[in-house]
Amino acid sequence: MIALPRPRRTRGGGSGRADGPGPAAPSRRRSRVRAFGLRTRLLAAFLLVAAVSAGTTSALTYREARNALLKTAQDTAVSTFRDQVERTGWRLPVEEEGIEEILRDLARTGKPRPWVVFAEYGSVRASSGENPVSSVITPELRRAATAHRYGSFERVVKDGVPYLTIGMPTVFRTGPDSTLPTGLVLYAVMRMTDEQINVDALLVAARNGALPGLAVALVPALLAARSVLRPVRELRRAARSMGSGRLDTRIPVRGSDELADLADTFNESAGQLERSVSELREAEARARRFASDVSHELRTPLAGMLAVTEVLDQDADRLDADTAQAVRLVSAETGKLAVLVEDLMEISRFDARAAELNSDEIDVAEAIRKTLQTRHWADDDRIRTELPAGVRARLDPRRFDVVVANLVGNALRHGGAPVTVHLRTEASSSGTLVLVIEVTDRGPGIPAAALPHIFDRFYKADAARTRSPGSGLGLAITLENVTLHDGTIRAGNLPGGGAVFTVEIPLRAEEASR
Amino acid sequence: MRRTGWRGAEMRRTGWRGLATAVVAAVGVPLVGGCGIQDSDVVEAGGPATVEAFLNRDADMLLFFRSPDGGVSAVIREARPSAGFGDEYIEPGAVTRDPSGPAGPAPTEKVVLALLAGPGEADRAAGLTTALPAVRAKEAVQVEVSSDGGVTARLPLAVQGLDATAVRQLTCTIAYNQAEDGRGVVTLRGQDGAERSGSCGLTPGSPG
Repeated sequence: MIALPRPRRTRGGGSGRADGPGPAAPSRRRSRVRAFGLRTRLLAAFLLVAAVSAGTTSALTYREARNALLKTAQDTAVSTFRDQVERTGWRLPVEEEGIEEILRDLARTGKPRPWVVFAEYGSVRASSGENPVSSVITPELRRAATAHRYGSFERVVKDGVPYLTIGMPTVFRTGPDSTLPTGLVLYAVMRMTDEQINVDALLVAARNGALPGLAVALVPALLAARSVLRPVRELRRAARSMGSGRLDTRIPVRGSDELADLADTFNESAGQLERSVSELREAEARARRFASDVSHELRTPLAGMLAVTEVLDQDADRLDADTAQAVRLVSAETGKLAVLVEDLMEISRFDARAAELNSDEIDVAEAIRKTLQTRHWADDDRIRTELPAGVRARLDPRRFDVVVANLVGNALRHGGAPVTVHLRTEASSSGTLVLVIEVTDRGPGIPAAALPHIFDRFYKADAARTRSPGSGLGLAITLENVTLHDGTIRAGNLPGGGAVFTVEIPLRAEEASR
Repeated sequence: MRRTGWRGAEMRRTGWRGLATAVVAAVGVPLVGGCGIQDSDVVEAGGPATVEAFLNRDADMLLFFRSPDGGVSAVIREARPSAGFGDEYIEPGAVTRDPSGPAGPAPTEKVVLALLAGPGEADRAAGLTTALPAVRAKEAVQVEVSSDGGVTARLPLAVQGLDATAVRQLTCTIAYNQAEDGRGVVTLRGQDGAERSGSCGLTPGSPG
């Protein structure tokens, strides 16, 4: 089965169907904030650059400042400690008594702040504090002091508290130029709390310097995003507006950047498109007017000819046989010509969008029966009907009559008996009730190649049979009529042979909108 | 349309992966630098401190004993109370120089005997010991200074069996008695006839 899409058209009334649910849905989808939109990306890029530069700058500044601060503190401590140690005097061997006195003296004068001094000599361990042995001094520092005999320091973080530990081996003079290790090593342990506070302050300052930078970076990012997004948004709106038929849409061109060029190009293209479309429309309108005018011009002489042929028909019996046959032929062809002209005029009205729907609430089964009666098909045994009573719908009676008559007539002409007219209502996929009229026949069916064109004007399914009783416009007019009812019509073949035409017209109580 | 959409999503994904890497790098740079105060290695900061040890070369003698960490430590002992060890008694202020020991006031033989007598009470209190065996013969130390500055000491003990610390104790004691800088080469000759020679090598900067 082939579903014929209902051509969308804006009717004379301009009911605004083009702006209906179709285009509105994507617009809702597009208008929501996008996670990876231009704005987000621009913001991310700006923030990233700002974060990298601010972070790197503050990190490097912070590190240098911290190292300088620590270096000053350490150097001061080490040189002070050495100075103080060099001012002390020791008897060798170092005796345990009295040693703490000296150590406390040393501890008091610590710089930049007091420290705890430990002394190690032989098996003697003493300190200015409570414990004779420090738990902070590492074996590495001890080795540097005892084995390598260097004054050295080490920063140790213990339980989150940073300490500066200094190891200072001592020597004494044995002569003006010679010294000898005493074996005494003095250690100073200093809490670096003030340095910690200063370093923390540096860190806070670095962070506080970097964060406003990030905040400030947001402003140009937003401005840049805006300057790009606004033209893009206008462009999108304009494109959509053109898509919905308003070809006179133009975009205001601001500035001279690439986006302005784009807007300019868009405007030019839109102008050219508008010109070509209007030329096409004019040509089409001229063609339609011509067809309409021709059929109108033909109608008047045809009316006269019909009157004459009727008279001739009545008198044909009195003429001799050959003349009578000729007269009957002329009469029949004139009648067909009249039908063709009528159909042409009807089609012209559809093309000119002058076709109007005069809806009325009718009993559908009754309307179909009336159609069959009018065409003298009511008692025809080639036609069967399945018409349940009580199906009422708002339809244009005249147009509905044309639809049913064309379908049945077409089935009788091209299909085989019996022709069945079947009426029912059913729920469509979208949930609304639709009126379904099926006209089936038992003929050979429609050739597959002809199916897509079956509703085309003057299309003949059987190319060899160029002359047919119909005008060639019947199915096209049927399609237009069904479409006018917002319905659809499909043509197809039954599995067991025979063609089936299915008309679906929504059963809507939408008088208000019409 | 759909396909380009997919490709776009793919590009977006790789783009965001790159962005994430960059952000991690941006955040990671300060982290690698470290916040707050970090541990450091042991940093050398100059030589040892020179303290006053009240050494009077004219009145004191330097003896070297074994310290608990395995090295040797110098102790300063006044020569006066050690008079009981030697034959001579040195009057304070009235120093008579021994002709055989020109470098120091205390004769080397006496100093060596003081060393062989072992650490005193104060030395032991500080954890100092000796690696030298106890010696009974007191007079058997003889010191000769050769023309090239080398010192040879004849000792009343077997030199062959001495360990490195004991040799060092003797060498340093004799060397620093002979010279202020203790750089001379000392040869030890024992009763067993064995000879060991070397220098003290306790100057700061050299391991010891």
